[in-house]
Amino acid sequence: MSGGNRPYDVLMSTLGDVEERTSADLVCGERTPAPWESAMQATCECLSSGGTLDNLERRQAEDRLGESVYARFPVHTRSALIVAHSLMDRDVITEEELRAKMKEVRARLEMV
Amino acid sequence: MSTTHSHAPLEESPLTEFEVLELAVRELAIEKGLFSADDHRRFSEWAEARTYTVGSRMTARSWLDPAFKERLLSNGTETSKEVGVDWLQPTGQGTPSDYTFFYVLENTPKVHNVIVCTLCSCYPRPVLGMSPDWYRTPNYRRRMVRWPRQVLAEFGLHLPPDVEVRVHDSNQKSRFMVMPMRPEGTDGWNEDQLAAIVTRDCLIGVALPRADVTASQVPKQPKGRSGGKKR
Amino acid sequence: MKTMTPRFQVGDRVTVRDATTMFHTRTQGFTRGQTGTVVEHRPAWIVPEDEAFGIMENGRYTPFYVVRFKQTDLWPDYTGFEVDTLETECSEMWLEPAGKGKK
Repeated sequence: MSGGNRPYDVLMSTLGDVEERTSADLVCGERTPAPWESAMQATCECLSSGGTLDNLERRQAEDRLGESVYARFPVHTRSALIVAHSLMDRDVITEEELRAKMKEVRARLEMV
Repeated sequence: MSTTHSHAPLEESPLTEFEVLELAVRELAIEKGLFSADDHRRFSEWAEARTYTVGSRMTARSWLDPAFKERLLSNGTETSKEVGVDWLQPTGQGTPSDYTFFYVLENTPKVHNVIVCTLCSCYPRPVLGMSPDWYRTPNYRRRMVRWPRQVLAEFGLHLPPDVEVRVHDSNQKSRFMVMPMRPEGTDGWNEDQLAAIVTRDCLIGVALPRADVTASQVPKQPKGRSGGKKR
Repeated sequence: MKTMTPRFQVGDRVTVRDATTMFHTRTQGFTRGQTGTVVEHRPAWIVPEDEAFGIMENGRYTPFYVVRFKQTDLWPDYTGFEVDTLETECSEMWLEPAGKGKK
């Protein structure tokens, strides 16, 4: 179980891109999932079947961190945040690596 | 009714930070050998092909074909193959979160079933696709086991006192789907017509099918969408 | 999937062990120490306590059961009705005959 409770800046900076979650209402209307969400789900399955990050542990971390340090993020962004957070917590990747990779990915995607 | 993120303009922003984050995490993981791009592609392909219409189809067919219903109730995993769903795909053992035991819970005039997973968010993805956001929230998961009638009422579902509300907490290897009762006003309908009114929420157990409601209809305004919170 | 002779039969009253665990488990806190009725058998499977640590080859197999609880038993201040129930699955190692140990 990842123990880190401090938010990572590289993740907090993504908040500008989504509408902040201001209500804990149960029923929040229908939303069409974005394509990255199913890709993220596949990443979760790969990490779990490969033994890097068990699905149940990830879900528990999503609950814990999603209701605390990342409480301002909408629920559908939790898996992305928490997978990244957990991999950094476990020193599988570093924050610098992630920041650099995001920059590289962004540049590549914006080229088209 | 929440007005928060129900209309997030995802289509209007061509590149979101989350798209970038997802791809960055995936590529780093692949570079570090945690899994391969092909592993990822196979899981994506499998997950994206799932939809709740499989559950709708199974329900509609059960209403019309008692023998199919009997097979489905007695062996859900095996009978899923008749509608093209193999719970052992894509790995031969299911995915790490979709196990291979599938049970259909039949609603009766005296029993109303509803599914939840308090420990994580287990969901019968092979037959229902991706779970709705609210299904994964602690709000739903913690409260459905404790105050089921209150939570159902928030979805607009009020059940009489003599109907047993049976909550199924899918905590182990099994996955569940609710089979609602066929509603009034559907005499003579064919399988496609019936399947259209069996929406995802009916298969979770937070709604009941109605002859005049399909998932593709735009909900009537201005009384709030179905499932809107009553104050 | 293996076939094993289950210790409990459908209709038996069983109590979920009130054990605290530091290990990976899938037995929810709110069922521990509670008494319910076995309503179905499930296939035997490796207990999650072993599976979580990748002990798939020689992990402990045990029968699983669907246990039905009355909501009014689980929650003293339950706000629904007497007829309401909750079902969940338990591995045999978490169950004991009702009446043994604490209720």
